[in-house]
Amino acid sequence: MDESTKRLLQRLMRRIPTQMLRTTLDKWGRLTGEQLQSMDFTQSKWALTEKLLAICEENELAVKHITELEMIYIIDNPNQGMWYAFQLMDPEDDAHSVELTQFKEQFKSHLRELIRHVSVKIKKHTDEAVWIRIAWGDTFSRPNHMKPTYVVHSLQTPYVFVTSLTSKQKPLLSQALVLSARYQAIKDANLSGRKLTAIRDLLMRQYHQVFPTRYPTPLAENNQTVSNQHIEREQAVPAANRLQAAYEAFGGGMLPQLQSAVYKLETKFRDHSNKTMTEREEPFRCVVKFASTNLLESLRHCASSGIASTPVTPLLSSIPLKGKNYFVITDNGPGPSSQMRQPQN
Amino acid sequence: MDGASTKGVLSHLSLLEVQARSRKTQPQQPSRVKELKAKAEALMTQRDQLKAEIETHKSLQKLRASMDKQRTHEEEEEEMAEDSDNSQLLRLMARHTQLKDLLHAHDIIGGYNIIKTRKGKGLCISLTTAYNGVYLENYNLEMDLKPTLRISRDNIPPFIPLKSLAEQSNMQTDIRTLLDPLSQHLNAFAARKQQFKLVKELHKSVQVMESNALCSLLVLMFTVPREKTAVLCSLEYTDHTRCLPTRVHFECEDKGLPDSPQWKKNGSLLMETPVHKALITMKKMGDIV
Repeated sequence: MDESTKRLLQRLMRRIPTQMLRTTLDKWGRLTGEQLQSMDFTQSKWALTEKLLAICEENELAVKHITELEMIYIIDNPNQGMWYAFQLMDPEDDAHSVELTQFKEQFKSHLRELIRHVSVKIKKHTDEAVWIRIAWGDTFSRPNHMKPTYVVHSLQTPYVFVTSLTSKQKPLLSQALVLSARYQAIKDANLSGRKLTAIRDLLMRQYHQVFPTRYPTPLAENNQTVSNQHIEREQAVPAANRLQAAYEAFGGGMLPQLQSAVYKLETKFRDHSNKTMTEREEPFRCVVKFASTNLLESLRHCASSGIASTPVTPLLSSIPLKGKNYFVITDNGPGPSSQMRQPQN
Repeated sequence: MDGASTKGVLSHLSLLEVQARSRKTQPQQPSRVKELKAKAEALMTQRDQLKAEIETHKSLQKLRASMDKQRTHEEEEEEMAEDSDNSQLLRLMARHTQLKDLLHAHDIIGGYNIIKTRKGKGLCISLTTAYNGVYLENYNLEMDLKPTLRISRDNIPPFIPLKSLAEQSNMQTDIRTLLDPLSQHLNAFAARKQQFKLVKELHKSVQVMESNALCSLLVLMFTVPREKTAVLCSLEYTDHTRCLPTRVHFECEDKGLPDSPQWKKNGSLLMETPVHKALITMKKMGDIV
């Protein structure tokens, strides 16, 4: 094993927490039973790394095996780093019948046509998602395995999730994806987050959505301390209505964990008490950012507790409805419509 | 000349005299009178009948309007006062027209569950899916009614082509042109998904090599007993409105196997029977482990 491979393994070992090490190595399957047994997982990480390095030398493993291990670890623990969602647009007629082997071959060949030195690894996960690991090189240098890009895509859906992609690499990846998935274009879906599972669930609508029905089932309510019986009685109907509106806007049960929502305002300043600002012709540019450990959950709670008025404003309900957490808001032109701020895109 | 004209006038006068005399003496054709009288009677009774019908119709409409209002106020108890036979009959007739209209409306919306939302400004349509007598997922469409009918929210999975189905439909005039194809797609998808799930649960000896989110492709690995050869079976479901495959393909190291009559039979079996059931048959026949 050469130096760079050793470094790669060392870096990977630093990344994998000790408690996950055994299962990950097991899944990797490159260690014999005895070798795995010989590793003492109570030792320090450094000691374990040295042991593993020795075993890998023994088995004559190469870079491609180490990247395999990395991929296994990332697939099982995808909720780290920053993931960005993209959407493929305008499917060709045969987009719906693209199957895995075809996609794999096409993607690899298209990417290799665009950039000579690139290392691509494609794996199909049990949940039908295709995982792609790309190590980029350029005309002069070999692929850099220290900074790989990971791409996740489910065939027959238009969504692609990417992490660790530079702006230089973006057009190359876009081209390869569009051609191999048989679409005509790809665009930014304006959704990002630390948890891949969350942004994927949001876009694929894999969380519990609440719709108006004739006989609504009672919604889960948090245990509120009964402060005053009279207030409870008076507030029963409005509280139930707020709860229903909040659940319809954001969803029921566990919500996908988003960390932030950003609104970029390009609207005219409106405050009659401040003449200087209102008189300005240009729009007042500002950025509003909402941050939380679980943004959708907190917004839902704002609506159900009455902090945010119901019906929920489309500015907030657009987050789950459109599956976006980045909005650019402009005035809508002259007339009464300019009184409303509409989320664009 | 004079004689001729005088004759004409005189003869004419005498004719008129005869006519006048006969009219005085003759009775006024009683049958004709009777006829006319009878006709007048008939017309009068018809008029009365029509009047009565109009009255009934008016009171029916009033009754129906009050019935409809009662229905929207969540089924309040109808006052079953001691009505005369006449008004009971009217009530029944009103109910009959109400039920007929309801049935007609149900026909128009194709039996889908639809409710009004936002005080009549919106609709929510619920589409159920089922397979083998078991209810599976429920999908919903929320729609705005004004200015035109359009979908505002849905929980349809992204690989179901909702947008193109809506564009191809005539939903402004007949919403079933959207709902029926959509329900077809969803039910076929739910059926295929359920079949794949059953294959994984019931046939552990068969390995699922590949499938996709839309459940339009299934690749299985069979093991032939005795020789222990592996057969790769690809099932393609290119018609997304159906839950049976459009193409079955076998691959094996033994190149002759896919062409053997036994496996040709298996091929048509897989084309005509849901995959989880076909596998049971194939196991029984001893073709696969």
